[in-house]
Amino acid sequence: MAARKRASSVTNSAKTALSEPASSPTELKTAVSGEDFRLAPPKLGVIFVISSLLCSLYLYLLCFHYNVDNELKRPILINAGLSLVGFFVTLKLIPVAARYVLRRNMFGFDINKRGTPQGEVKVPESLGIVVGIVFLIVAIVFQFFNFTEDSVWLVEYNAALASICFMILLGFVDDVLDVPWRVKLLLPSFATLPLLMAYAGHTTIVIPKPLVSYIGLEVFDLGRIYKLYMALLAVFCTNSINIHAGLNGLEIGQTVVIAAAILIHNVMQIGASVDTEYHQAHAFSIYLTQPLMATSLAMLAYNWYPSAVFVGDTYTVFAGMTMAVVGILGHFSETLLIFFLPQVLNFLLSLPQLAGIVKCPRHRLPKFDPATGQLTGTKDGTLVNVYLRIFGRKSEKSLCIHLLVFQALACAFCFMLRHFLAGWYK
Amino acid sequence: MAARKRASSMSISNKPDPVEPNSAPSEQKMTRKTVSASAEEFRLAPPKLGVIFVISTLLCSIYLYLLCFHYKVDNELKRSILINAGLSLVGFFVTLKMIPVAARYVLRRNMFGFDINKRGTPQGEVKVPESLGIVVGIVFLIVAIIFQYFNFTEDSNWLVEYNAALASICFMILLGFVDDVLDVPWRVKLVLPSFATLPLLMAYAGHTTIVIPKPLVAYIGLEVLDLGRIYKLYMGLLAVFCTNSINIHAGLNGLEIGQTVVIAAAILIHNVMQIGASVDPEYHQAHAFSIFLTQPLMATSLAMLAYNWYPSSVFVGDTYTVFAGMTMAVVGILGHFSETLLIFFLPQVLNFLLSLPQLAGIVKCPRHRLPRYDPATGLLTGTKDGTLVNVYLRLFGPKSEKSLCIHLLVLQALACAFCFILRHFLAGWYK
Repeated sequence: MAARKRASSVTNSAKTALSEPASSPTELKTAVSGEDFRLAPPKLGVIFVISSLLCSLYLYLLCFHYNVDNELKRPILINAGLSLVGFFVTLKLIPVAARYVLRRNMFGFDINKRGTPQGEVKVPESLGIVVGIVFLIVAIVFQFFNFTEDSVWLVEYNAALASICFMILLGFVDDVLDVPWRVKLLLPSFATLPLLMAYAGHTTIVIPKPLVSYIGLEVFDLGRIYKLYMALLAVFCTNSINIHAGLNGLEIGQTVVIAAAILIHNVMQIGASVDTEYHQAHAFSIYLTQPLMATSLAMLAYNWYPSAVFVGDTYTVFAGMTMAVVGILGHFSETLLIFFLPQVLNFLLSLPQLAGIVKCPRHRLPKFDPATGQLTGTKDGTLVNVYLRIFGRKSEKSLCIHLLVFQALACAFCFMLRHFLAGWYK
Repeated sequence: MAARKRASSMSISNKPDPVEPNSAPSEQKMTRKTVSASAEEFRLAPPKLGVIFVISTLLCSIYLYLLCFHYKVDNELKRSILINAGLSLVGFFVTLKMIPVAARYVLRRNMFGFDINKRGTPQGEVKVPESLGIVVGIVFLIVAIIFQYFNFTEDSNWLVEYNAALASICFMILLGFVDDVLDVPWRVKLVLPSFATLPLLMAYAGHTTIVIPKPLVAYIGLEVLDLGRIYKLYMGLLAVFCTNSINIHAGLNGLEIGQTVVIAAAILIHNVMQIGASVDPEYHQAHAFSIFLTQPLMATSLAMLAYNWYPSSVFVGDTYTVFAGMTMAVVGILGHFSETLLIFFLPQVLNFLLSLPQLAGIVKCPRHRLPRYDPATGLLTGTKDGTLVNVYLRLFGPKSEKSLCIHLLVLQALACAFCFILRHFLAGWYK
């Protein structure tokens, strides 16, 4: 279920070439190579293209298309500015952190390049910690700039920070200590508790109009079951990104696509409504999603194919948690679930193996052929493999782009669905 | 400035560096098996529950007596406090159970150190798991998070402060653990607690005024001075000070946790005394808030002390010291008794002042400023380093590690007692 190829957990590698740093002279060599270590330069061109694709629509809607109240627009733009700073800070810190991380032997080998020279490079792991820390600092500092604060807002914001921070902590502990997967399933539930406590919103669901005559209610108060649903949503989000992974750039890629969709959804809702509480909820989501987007894009500069760093569980659980948090506190969790359609699909495909009904290997990655440089789908139940089996062999980079386009299509599908069901559904 | 003897940062150790088992799939299966076999056979020494029982009784008896019998505490409040105490007790047992489990994982990742104060004896060759403070931190957070559901005296303001406190403490634990794993440079270590305090400063909705001591009113011309933002700066600095000062007053088995639980006991006694002596509900809330975070700190710390007391089977790591320091700074700030807290921290202040020349670089500062250990006698002798540990040894002669630790903890308790006496006598005169 792990995202990548962790050095300590790979047992079936055939490589014996790497020397053990146990004896002193070899140790010296490792230490020297650690200091000489230079990360490949960030792929800023790719990031520029991706950012433009994702953010242009959002920025256009925010600044030109909708008449957003100035009081609201100003904090959003301040937050965007801080996020931009976060982008550059992350960009700068990742090479620094990569050195420290390598020194502690937290690295992996790129399984999808096994058999080529690239497959022997020690890739630093768990660089998600940099993204997480910069995100937290941006989010914390932003509190001082938000002029539309009130007590409820502060409670929700601090509860969100506490939840996300706890999740980053658990993710990093997992990356370092490799906790058993049952524990990994349980822990996000604890991380969501501050959130559930602070959630002061409605726990009702709106019954779709066609079903009202059968159920007899227009609005159904789920009460505590709604809070259970929120907790499960968080557990789902944190883990689902983790299992839809394994290709260079896929983890961060899916996150930024969904984040872009979240931002567009938020600004559309703000533009289409006059209810201030509604505005606040969606602005809240923007305040956390912009930093997520910016810091993730900075890391993607190093993680895009071919990956110079791996993100680790730290990143995937952090990203999943942040999106669950904004979905819950922004009151659009059902919409979020539809953005997560590929992840849901992947989860359903994975169920037999996760449940143990079908044998589940350590890594459920496609098969890499060093001769052609292409990936072929195996019989494992993941979206990556199924996609390969349906559409034929692909190179890693092209497959990743395909899957990200698929993610974007799922988000677009969600927008269309909302549009068409608007009158009919609610 | 580090608390203990870290394997990965040891460049002066004369021990050959151990095999890192996580350097890749390619390492020889044999080597890996050897290490993992020893990790699986690894059994932590049993917890020293007897010692903990004695320490707990000494520290908590006064507090519990004052809470339940001496003062007439409002029932609503008492119930919340007792529920929190119950949850903390659960936290105690959970921590006790989790530490051996975590120790195995931590050893597997080669996060261990050698006990420098036992170098030359067989004990000095044992790999002691490091950074077990992460267990304390996580259990503390879970207890603190769950407690929110049981607090009946909540209101919006309380929730803001509580969540801000959780966010600050959680961020500090994260930074402490990252430091333990990656060994960040000390300049970074100084700056980071400032970021961790920001949620706190934002949520602080209390007064930023200080009361001018009566004798000085005539000179200053004011009774109450509003420091405004400077007060917030003071709070930020207090947090940085608390997190780092425990870190540098360390190096003996059980000293880091020991000083924390002594100060925590003093905090609890102070809180309950203030609740008992006042009728202002806001005042009650502030001190109850402090109790709600200090009881879990006390309980989880005592559980770890069971393994960390002399001779230590686990080391606490920077994770624990910064977590403990931050928690105490948080309760001091949000409970509005930060000046009292500083006097509880008198030994730490002393240690900081003694360390200044070396920290500032004026005097040469070695990697570890520990006393010198003589394997023949088993006694520690003070070096010329500027730490309270060394100065105490130079004043009072060589001591064994355990006895020195006890001496220093008694000194801590005396400092806290001194604070109570000072408050008592200055009560009418000062404010």
